[in-house]
Amino acid sequence: MRIQCPCCGERSLDEFTYYGDASVTRPNAFAPTAMSDYHAYVYQRDNRDGDHRELWYHAAGCHACLVVTRNVRSHIISDVRIAREVARERDAAALPGSTS
Amino acid sequence: MRRQSNRLGEGGIIDRSKPVTFTFDGAPYQGYQGDTLASALLANGVTLVGRSFKYHRPRGVLSAGSEEPNALVELRSENYREANTKATMVELFDGLSASSQNRWPSLRLDFMSINSLLSPIFVAGFYYKTFMWPAALWEKLYEPAIRRAAGLGRAAQGEDPDHYEKATAHCDVLVVGGGAAGLNAALNAARSGARVILADENAQLGGRALDDGLPIDGAPPVQWIDSVREQLEREPNVVVMRRTTVFGVYDTGTYGALERVSDHLAQAKHGFPRQRLWRIIAKRTILATGATERPIVFGGNDRPGVMLASAFRTYLNRYGVAPGRRIVVFTNNDSGALTAAEAALAGLEVVAIVDSRRGLSAEISKAASTAGTRMISGGVVIDTVGKAKLSGVVIRTGEGEDVRLSCDCLVMSGGWNPNLQLTTHLGGKPTWNDAIAAFVPGTHPPGMSVAGAAGGSFGLKDALDEGAKAGSEAVASLGWKVAGPASPRADNQPYGIRPLWLVEASKSKALVDFQNDVTAADIALAAREGFQSVEHLKRYTTLGMATDQGRTSNVNALAIMAKATDRSIPETGMTVARPPYSPVAIGALAGHHRGKSFKAVRRPPSYAWAKANGGVFVETGLWLRPAYFPKSDERDWFETVCREVKTVRSAVGVCDVSTLGKVDVQGKDAGEFLDKIYMNGLKTLPIGKARYGGMLREDGIFMDDGTIARLGEHHYFVTTTTANAVKAFQHMEFCAQWLWPSLDVQLISATEQWAQYAVAGPKSRDLLRKIIDPEFDISDEAFPYLQVGKITVCGGIKGRLFRLSFSGERAYEIAVPARYGDALMRALMDAGQEFGVCPYGAEALAVMRIEKGHISGPELNGNTTPRDVGLGDMIAKKKDFIGRVLGERPGIIDPDRPSLIGFRPVDKNMRMRSGAHIVPLSAPATAANDQGYLTSVAYSPTVGDWIALGLLKRGPERIGEKVRAVDPVRNEEYVVEVVNPCFVDPEGEKLRG
Amino acid sequence: MANTQWVAASAFVEWRDIPGSSVSVTRRDDLTMANLGVFEGQSDKVLEVIRSAYGIDLPRTPKIVTARGTSFLWYGPNQWLAVAAREQNRDLELELEPLFSGVASIVDQTDARAVVEISGHRARDVLAKGVPIDLHPSAFKTGDVAITHASHIGIVICQMDDNPTYQISMFRSFADSFAEWLFHSCEEFSN
Repeated sequence: MRIQCPCCGERSLDEFTYYGDASVTRPNAFAPTAMSDYHAYVYQRDNRDGDHRELWYHAAGCHACLVVTRNVRSHIISDVRIAREVARERDAAALPGSTS
Repeated sequence: MRRQSNRLGEGGIIDRSKPVTFTFDGAPYQGYQGDTLASALLANGVTLVGRSFKYHRPRGVLSAGSEEPNALVELRSENYREANTKATMVELFDGLSASSQNRWPSLRLDFMSINSLLSPIFVAGFYYKTFMWPAALWEKLYEPAIRRAAGLGRAAQGEDPDHYEKATAHCDVLVVGGGAAGLNAALNAARSGARVILADENAQLGGRALDDGLPIDGAPPVQWIDSVREQLEREPNVVVMRRTTVFGVYDTGTYGALERVSDHLAQAKHGFPRQRLWRIIAKRTILATGATERPIVFGGNDRPGVMLASAFRTYLNRYGVAPGRRIVVFTNNDSGALTAAEAALAGLEVVAIVDSRRGLSAEISKAASTAGTRMISGGVVIDTVGKAKLSGVVIRTGEGEDVRLSCDCLVMSGGWNPNLQLTTHLGGKPTWNDAIAAFVPGTHPPGMSVAGAAGGSFGLKDALDEGAKAGSEAVASLGWKVAGPASPRADNQPYGIRPLWLVEASKSKALVDFQNDVTAADIALAAREGFQSVEHLKRYTTLGMATDQGRTSNVNALAIMAKATDRSIPETGMTVARPPYSPVAIGALAGHHRGKSFKAVRRPPSYAWAKANGGVFVETGLWLRPAYFPKSDERDWFETVCREVKTVRSAVGVCDVSTLGKVDVQGKDAGEFLDKIYMNGLKTLPIGKARYGGMLREDGIFMDDGTIARLGEHHYFVTTTTANAVKAFQHMEFCAQWLWPSLDVQLISATEQWAQYAVAGPKSRDLLRKIIDPEFDISDEAFPYLQVGKITVCGGIKGRLFRLSFSGERAYEIAVPARYGDALMRALMDAGQEFGVCPYGAEALAVMRIEKGHISGPELNGNTTPRDVGLGDMIAKKKDFIGRVLGERPGIIDPDRPSLIGFRPVDKNMRMRSGAHIVPLSAPATAANDQGYLTSVAYSPTVGDWIALGLLKRGPERIGEKVRAVDPVRNEEYVVEVVNPCFVDPEGEKLRG
Repeated sequence: MANTQWVAASAFVEWRDIPGSSVSVTRRDDLTMANLGVFEGQSDKVLEVIRSAYGIDLPRTPKIVTARGTSFLWYGPNQWLAVAAREQNRDLELELEPLFSGVASIVDQTDARAVVEISGHRARDVLAKGVPIDLHPSAFKTGDVAITHASHIGIVICQMDDNPTYQISMFRSFADSFAEWLFHSCEEFSN
């Protein structure tokens, strides 16, 4: 499998390290429900067919974390983004007063 | 040396001016440059080349390509020996030595052929049924006996002396197969200027076009083939890879290929590998792998002298060899007649054409009469005659009459199977095409198209046209300008197949899988016993599981199973091929990376000095670290390590600790960031100070530890353990980019920038005073424990000093740029002479940390929490950090968890060993009574006794208690006392000076 | 205190130069390097400083640019590696630190990376045996940079000229392992 790194171009899998599910967000550690929130965050995963959003770290390349949308049946990758940018949008959207 | 009795007077594209000498089973023979081992053996009249796997039946050459199941030989000798090599793929070279396999004592007189007489016993599933009980006998008795009786070649016993390489290639279009379709595809693609790789498994391009000899552009095909080869080789953007098998398809246009760089030479040329494993990255791929002819399943079809019609034509046209003089053709399609005509043209006697079809076309009849041969329409061959060599065949005519004909070669054509294996590697399913009675590629992997016989178009004109079209379309789809497909003139041949899957009138063994000795009767048995799915059939009979992956047998077997179970072939199914298409040597997969090059080695800055001074090295991850530095009068490592420890504790020692991971952390939020990834507070660390830090996983388990030094307002310098350096750095990057993307923090790995040495012992400051430039005050007032600062050495070389201690002594870590690491070590040793300095290695380091009760790898083992290792008090209460929430789960904070504690043996002479389990004094040594184990054990020269750290249930509450250490692995048991885990200077007085 | 001058050691302990027309290999022990890491929100400022000090724009893609004896190569998002010859005891960390106070971290990498240069018309064939990226002139040109790996060792590769000459750097401790692979890979072309 090859991943199109937005910084480096297309590279083979052996340059990347899998860093888990990109669809979960680290919960607030001080919320009353923190324990169950963290349990879900760390352990609970759906094993769906089709597209998954995954984190891949370009370890042997530019060191950027990437959010990769990959079909787990065909391994076809439909989207790759720089994780820091996705994370910034996520955090902006979570701010009070944001519209999403 | 014998004359090449079966070499024709003319013809073939071998070089008759270059005779080549070789041996087979010790006997010398001669062939020509351009021969394969198989063609040369046939030229010399050698038809018996091997014994079969299970029944030891005599076997000859069946094919002329990589599908060969019979003619497997051992090549070369001693450690160069290579088993199971297909004689049909071995290019002849001068001095080649080959021998037959799986026979004893000789090929002609094989005692194991008794298996053939016992064959009613050795049917499919025989092993499963017979050797089931008692199971204990399987390993000792049954398997070795079976292995002796049934088998293939012998592997070399020593290390492979050849060198192998791995390489990567990139292209716009990869063309797999250099026959008519592939050549024309490559040519049409290359004209655009796109980068093209053409890979073919043979030494010569041309494929079946060369074998069949049909005219292209009105001339012998070799002319067109040569001209295309020359054009391609002239193109700077084209790479022609001959002797290269594309063996696997992987995701995103990645292909595995094996180039046999030196297999055709007696010895690889200096600097060249034997084989090269290619990873080819292609934007488009054209599969032009051709087709493989099917044998016909009838009695005695494996007797030497029975050959595929396509192979017969190859030997005739390509090598000028007549595999026999009196030929019978057995066919279910039109290619039989073509073969007969060619044989007649070459002056061979064609005794008869046995065509299983009735009502033959005019063309066929015409071909038969041209050959002047007897035409048996609607007939079948039901048996063969002869011992280790064919002497005749028994034919049942269309009228039901049995006729015996004498012949020395029977050529058969059961039709053709497209070589579609590469279309299935990513899960594509082939589909059945009734018109050609064969499976054709169903879905293709992304970016792949198929041309010619690989897609079921068996005619030469079709192959050329489809190749041209595929080549142009592939480059056009990538945006290259193309003129439109162009092809030379050629004709299609009639095919007209009517399937004949099994000659049911046959009484004797009718082989389906030649290599694994699976017969039609075995398939029938599998059907009767309920193993009717393809996958069950395969596993029950071993059909298609030999090194040829069933290339000549799978479809025949499937068809026979379909008939036996009254289903259609597509209903019965199809096994999907997996990589590799043909076997790949393990050596090629390893490439350069074996022996001392197996993996990269990291050398610390003092490596050269340590090596020159007798250091004994130990691998820590990829690092090669000195373990200890023996003196000439020391008896063993034990004495050396004790001396090193004593020197540190009484004087001063120096240890290279550069291997610790080092991360430069800068930015306005650096402190905030470190607070999130370490369990203890670091934001409050004063500038110029260092602090121990513990890093947890989000599940609350201890991940790594180290020291964090604050060099400036927004500047920290973090160390990690050697083993986890890469993991910890990546974890930090992940946290910075994904968890807290807006924190202002820059992380730079600085591990390799600094040579960092621990200078430890009561005299350490005195020694450093002689090294560090005098303007830097390192008195205890100016530089107390946990102080850090910038320094210079040797009159201005920049450096850093950290007052840290792993040993528990007054100690410092001094860092200089790595290129001065060697010089610093020499300077320390010179200057330290007056203090009795010694270098110490990882062993003494480990002893001293156990003496101090400091945790390391055996305690930070991926199962322990901060509380488990006695660091629970460090966990910050108010801030958020990774591991905070799940680290408070009941199971993680359970006081019953095994916790860090020390141990000493009650019997002072008893040596403890790590790994021993702890059970209460009077309880039996069972898993239920297991209360923990010893993690780290050392002989302490300071204490004068064996000491241990370990994890014990409620350990800290049990100091003074006696428990038993049980070591079932080493069969030891002894009583130990639970003690404080800090064995030396528990108050830390020495540390602070 | 010892007064003798300390000798700088090469990262490559077991080294031999490979001269030759088809491929030649040399080591570069004479470089000074520093990592430039841009602080949050300071990109424009960093570009401005570079522009006024060196008259060039930092590359935003994997490229190397050179001005006034100093090269800057793209080293990942918001990071660059400055490289210069160590003549007259130049030290890029000391040179750059005052320019970037508060806008970027400057970390000395002079000793962290070992550097070799591989040159000649078969250089690409040598590198194909370990470097997985496409070095064909249509894909990788003079001035291009890639962070990748060779023979399982992380490398940064830049094409310095059309000869072609490639400059490759790796973490210092890997130097001898890298060289061992490189020498072996060159053998086919050295005669």
